[in-house]
Amino acid sequence: MAAAVGKAAAVAYGHGESGGGRGGGFLGPRVPAEVEAMARGVQDIGKETFRRLLRVAVNALEGKDCKESVKLIAESTNLSEEQIAFLISGMYTLLREALRLPLSTFKQETCMFYVAARCCYTSMVLTVLGLFLSSISDSLYFLIPEDFIVDFSSIVFGNRRPTSEGTALIQGSRLPSIQDLKWRVDVAISTSSLARALQPSILMMMKLSDGTAHRFEVPVSKFQELRYNIALILKEMNDLEKWSILKIQD
Amino acid sequence: MAASVVPESDSIRRAVSLLNAVDPGRFPRLLSRLLQKLHLKAESTFSEEEEEKLQIAFSLEKQDLHLVLETISFIWEQAVYHNLKPASLQQQLQSIHLDQDKAEAFASAWAAAGQDTIEKFRQRVLTPRKLETIGWQLNLQMAESTQAKLKSPRAVLELGVSSEDGKNLKKVFVEFNHQELFEFYNKLETIQAQLDSLT
Repeated sequence: MAAAVGKAAAVAYGHGESGGGRGGGFLGPRVPAEVEAMARGVQDIGKETFRRLLRVAVNALEGKDCKESVKLIAESTNLSEEQIAFLISGMYTLLREALRLPLSTFKQETCMFYVAARCCYTSMVLTVLGLFLSSISDSLYFLIPEDFIVDFSSIVFGNRRPTSEGTALIQGSRLPSIQDLKWRVDVAISTSSLARALQPSILMMMKLSDGTAHRFEVPVSKFQELRYNIALILKEMNDLEKWSILKIQD
Repeated sequence: MAASVVPESDSIRRAVSLLNAVDPGRFPRLLSRLLQKLHLKAESTFSEEEEEKLQIAFSLEKQDLHLVLETISFIWEQAVYHNLKPASLQQQLQSIHLDQDKAEAFASAWAAAGQDTIEKFRQRVLTPRKLETIGWQLNLQMAESTQAKLKSPRAVLELGVSSEDGKNLKKVFVEFNHQELFEFYNKLETIQAQLDSLT
């Protein structure tokens, strides 16, 4: 029953990102080779082994080191190294592509699917299942056992998502941002060239996220210019965020 | 009455007698030229050729010319240090037996460009690095390798920081999202409040 409803949803609402028809849904027009190989290979392994492999893939996504766990799995099961390799890489690719898309992309299909799933016993599980099913391709759906799909969905939609997202944001390519800004305002009373100077000046110490530190003086006139420019950027950003094109959810 | 800012030493006396002998025609221009270049750290204001021309124009030997130039620079430095008024400067110079017309020339050159020179000295900083230029860019980030469908506004600030002699402008790039920019702005506002409380 659950399978039938799920399949109906998959057909009726098309596939996640590419918007319908054949293909891999959020995986792109062609399902990556490792994901397909994983889908085939995953049928033969037990639930326990699957869960361990999945845990390794999730740890890798969160940026942790997994060499130990992989070794343990290799020793305790009878899978060859090659099999472990393509299973883990397939899971990693599948999850990484799913995590790339914001939740709102999936959420759109929730309300539509909920209506169909109302009659089923655990509509919560099925909502999640349905969202995921409707986004991966038909070919994969038939290959991957349902329980495993539930596990995948729980990672994409569950509590651990913010951790994976957080790692993605940190590792993402961006210019350094300010980690710490220290400043002081001095007044020079007297210098070697002026008996009475009474000139205020600002000293700034900027630590950036890439580890560099910059210490420099800001003359008062430059400081005013900096303040003006920052206020201008803030105003422009506020205007930008009001654009209606940004309100379109995709 | 301010204490004498120009001490009466032997070299000063000799310089004064040389100055008194100098032709008054080109004198004011020499004074203002030296005043303009005062805030620069470079030693010689004049190149070799210019010095030779000056030697001929003022009919002075090389040693004497150097003494005259150094003395004038010294007088200017003292005027800057004590923030003298033109009248008081003239008085000081006359008290070390400089001719009245020369003293007047000093006073008028000082009245014309004195305050600007003091301002330039005020702005001089001792710290190695100074903020020179500010540039910025407002971008709308659509996606990155780890996240699709973003639409997040980002600002990139380019700060040009120079070393003490004004060369080697190093560009520092800093990126902000909305929240970070707002925090930065608040910090700047705090600094501004401190500056306001000084006046």
